[in-house]
Amino acid sequence: MTGLSDILHLLYTANLWQAALAAAVLLLLPALGGVISERSGVVNIAMEGMMLTGAFFGVVADLAWHNPWLATGVAILAGGLMALVHAVVSIRFHADQIVSGIAINIFAAGITVFLVNRIYGIQDVGHATQSELLPNFNVPGLDQLPFLGQVLFQQNVVVYAALILLVLVHIVLFRTRLGLRIRAVGEHPQAADTAGINVYLIRYGAVVTSGFLSGLAGAFLAIGVSNTFVPNMTDGRGYIALAAMIFGKWTPFGAFVACLIFGLGQAIYDNNSIIHVSPYLLSMLPYILTLVVLAGLVGRSSPPAADGIPYVPGSE
Amino acid sequence: MTIVRRVVGGLAMPLGSVVFAFVVGGLIVAATGGNPFSAYAGLVCGGFGIGCTQGENPALQISNTIVFLTPLITTGVAVALPFRAGLFNIGAEGQLLAGSMACTAIGIKFSSLPTPILLPMVLLGGMVAGALWAGVAGVLKATVGAHEVVTTIMMNYIAQWLLRYLIIGGPLQLAAGTSKSLPIGPGARLATLLPSDNSLIVFGLPASVYRVHSGLFIAIVAAAVFAFLLWRTTLGYEIRAVGQSQRAARYAGVSVRRTIIVTMLIAGAFSGLAGAIQIAGVDHNLTDKYFSDTTGFDAIAVALLGLGSAVGIVLASLLFGALHAGGSVMQSDAGISSNLVLVLQALILFSIAANFLGAIRQLIPGLRRQAGAPPPETPAAALMTEAAAASEPGSQAT
Amino acid sequence: MGQTRLRLLGLVAVALMLAAACGGTSSNTSTKQFKIGLVTDIGGLNDKSFNHLADVGLLKAVTDFNVKGDVKESKTGDDYIPNLTNFASTGYDLVIGVGFLMQEAVGTVSGQFPNVHFAIIDGSGTDAAGNDLKHANVASLFFREQDAGAMVGVISGMLEKQGKLKNNKGVISAVGGVSIPPVNHYIAGYKWAATMEDPGIKVLVGYSNDFTDPAKCKGVAQQQIQGNSDVVFQVAGGCGLGALQAAGQAGVKSIGVDADQKDADPSVIASALKKVDVATYTAIKSVVNGQFAAGALTFDIQNDGAGYQVDNFTLPADILAEVTKIHDEIKAGTLTPPADIPA
Repeated sequence: MTGLSDILHLLYTANLWQAALAAAVLLLLPALGGVISERSGVVNIAMEGMMLTGAFFGVVADLAWHNPWLATGVAILAGGLMALVHAVVSIRFHADQIVSGIAINIFAAGITVFLVNRIYGIQDVGHATQSELLPNFNVPGLDQLPFLGQVLFQQNVVVYAALILLVLVHIVLFRTRLGLRIRAVGEHPQAADTAGINVYLIRYGAVVTSGFLSGLAGAFLAIGVSNTFVPNMTDGRGYIALAAMIFGKWTPFGAFVACLIFGLGQAIYDNNSIIHVSPYLLSMLPYILTLVVLAGLVGRSSPPAADGIPYVPGSE
Repeated sequence: MTIVRRVVGGLAMPLGSVVFAFVVGGLIVAATGGNPFSAYAGLVCGGFGIGCTQGENPALQISNTIVFLTPLITTGVAVALPFRAGLFNIGAEGQLLAGSMACTAIGIKFSSLPTPILLPMVLLGGMVAGALWAGVAGVLKATVGAHEVVTTIMMNYIAQWLLRYLIIGGPLQLAAGTSKSLPIGPGARLATLLPSDNSLIVFGLPASVYRVHSGLFIAIVAAAVFAFLLWRTTLGYEIRAVGQSQRAARYAGVSVRRTIIVTMLIAGAFSGLAGAIQIAGVDHNLTDKYFSDTTGFDAIAVALLGLGSAVGIVLASLLFGALHAGGSVMQSDAGISSNLVLVLQALILFSIAANFLGAIRQLIPGLRRQAGAPPPETPAAALMTEAAAASEPGSQAT
Repeated sequence: MGQTRLRLLGLVAVALMLAAACGGTSSNTSTKQFKIGLVTDIGGLNDKSFNHLADVGLLKAVTDFNVKGDVKESKTGDDYIPNLTNFASTGYDLVIGVGFLMQEAVGTVSGQFPNVHFAIIDGSGTDAAGNDLKHANVASLFFREQDAGAMVGVISGMLEKQGKLKNNKGVISAVGGVSIPPVNHYIAGYKWAATMEDPGIKVLVGYSNDFTDPAKCKGVAQQQIQGNSDVVFQVAGGCGLGALQAAGQAGVKSIGVDADQKDADPSVIASALKKVDVATYTAIKSVVNGQFAAGALTFDIQNDGAGYQVDNFTLPADILAEVTKIHDEIKAGTLTPPADIPA
């Protein structure tokens, strides 16, 4: 029982929640991308690959130009470029979107390590110095709030950006005409087309945006949280983000809740130096919790009606 | 004759995709300063034992390819079957691990039993464990509608951590300080084709280097069972009906819930069998390498490349097995990172998915062929929409 | 297709000529070109850890001796046996397996090719039950990581005892990858030595369960630092780089592992060295010189196969004196750091 009381005790510390939020953001960004893409009717399981590509090119750019902002821009573009491939293949060529997504993930895993070998040989990729990293930023005043100050206002700049994006994506999707169009394209592309909406344009935009967000997550991972590229450093986060998106029923805030569960699980696990539970059993915790929540509370998740179906004008 | 034409036609697209991938991959190699011809010579030598320049033994290369492709067939089937029902089983890996853990536990616990009893026990044990692992996702899908993509991903992670727990500090650990289990009993092992004898020389090398084991036949039988099940049984009809349209299936009197659960159980059994075969046929004990195993994920690509058919899956497994075996020969012979193999696999998938060849063919008048065209709607494409249908009111009624 | 075939023919012809050329001179051992094959574990060449170091040793041997060095990276654990077998069956003189996880594979393949030399880093050629098969063609290259861990443990323990570090609550820590012997040996030496210097010290030990994701190790390290750790020792390869960075950002000190990691972060005050490159080089050299010896070869402080390196930091004189003293005592065999993490 000491293990359980250790964990309960941790839950009262601001420190744990601060770490949980940062870990959650690494999942939230690709999950938001997934939400946007799938709301427009394009299945996206390629966040893992886009994130990894972003991480790699972010590090390459950062080491070359010593500017984290520029490097983040490169990472975002790299993620967007991978997404563009997914978009062209699945929108222009009407490809099976799951196949294409799996292909992106495999491609990214292969090409990044292949390029590491080719560019750096056996030399170390190199490490960004502190000034070349995306900085932490304490919001003046607010960071002194008890508990919440540390959790919400002593974070990396990307965390703030992600939280703003969370609200923004929610508003755009559900409170603007653009959002209405995106959702219309994802639910009834034929009807949307008839109403004069450019289905292809909306879908291209949505998929590429998902790549931008995943690329940003890659930059945060590689030159915010870490300071270098390690092969396969994304470590399945894109897949967890995929799960979070579905768990959250294709809504930004729903996905965020799921990301927080995983972030919290990671943060609790990080304390394994002081928790007296098998670290392996501890690692299982967030996944079991997710299953339990799915079984008990969340239940049915239904994607947009036209999700995964290539749009062919005049069909149906 | 029409059969021949159908086979040739069916092969045209996958083969063309492979060619496309190799051309693009070659450009990537050339662009980064490598020699694509020597890279591919290494790959072909490593995968098929053809055209080797460094004294590689062709029989050994082919045997390695076969060992790699064996688990891909069964896990490929485990992904393809749920695809037919409109379910995306991304959890073949977890189910494989469950099978390997069960196989090991049984093989150790009853290590003194003779082969005729113990071997069926470990294989069936692996199948049951895999089925249960996938069954969780099936039951959650059928009852509360939890999306199988989420649940199978969760079950993958749970299996991975359970594996580490079992062999590091847990009940299956060999001894303190190790990260593996005891070996399974001799009765639990699948026979190798050639005697595992270091002194018997076959094709110029000790017989024991050829690790091809009888699991290959089990895997091929499994693929045949898959085809039979899908096309020759009522259950197969129901699975396809559910995959086409849950609503229509319901009108036809098919229990969608039962079909979903049964499909996942069978798929899990196939994956679990793959895990059991790896333990019984190749490794004989559970080690930490299973933690980073990727067979169940490669299986997704194999199932898609094989277009969901048994023959296609076997051929796709052969290709992926050969690429896997060829990668390391390419690296040591041509100095090209074996990660190029992943790039090639991805390009093949892209090409298949996008039917680039079809697009190219359209550009060239006079080149018309129907048979090579993809089916109007590949199973995977229908997937997410069917999940949507499942959520419609009334789907609970079955 | 035709072109490829021509190309292949050309390659075959070249290979035949080379073979003929080599055949002509192979009677003279001094000019024989030795072929060395290196098989990495799943970490791959860019693991910033022991696979990388093994390759460094191979490359050094290639420049120093008349050897041809080739590498096969293992993508999964299923590649170990095929990769080793491939090298062994194509006329390589020495096949080197990198890593503890390859023990069984080396045990199996070395039995099949008794005329090929094998070396394995961090292990021996074993059967499935983990027993050393003691094949006459296998050199088992072990490291006393605890020696290296002890040296950095002395530095950490003394710094903490002297109260010159940030938190100054008598706590230091280690972040391990996975709880396996090569990792735990380091931590054992570290904890043992730190406790020897400062009996009241608390050594937090955590595991990231990962060797590739820096974010994971960073998280574990951050929580240790929150628990007042002043020195974070990473024993997790590429993942551990995140632990070094966590220390730097929190203003505490860190210690690198395997290779000299002073470039990874300014907070790195020292690195515990495990000279896999020396071991690889030594094994190759023994084959080239015809002095290959089977059995266990242990790299430790005594033969300079393990040790420490002071990095972005200048050791105060008293600590330097103590470190040198302990170093000498371990070298002389009067002090022996334990292999298992003390309670």
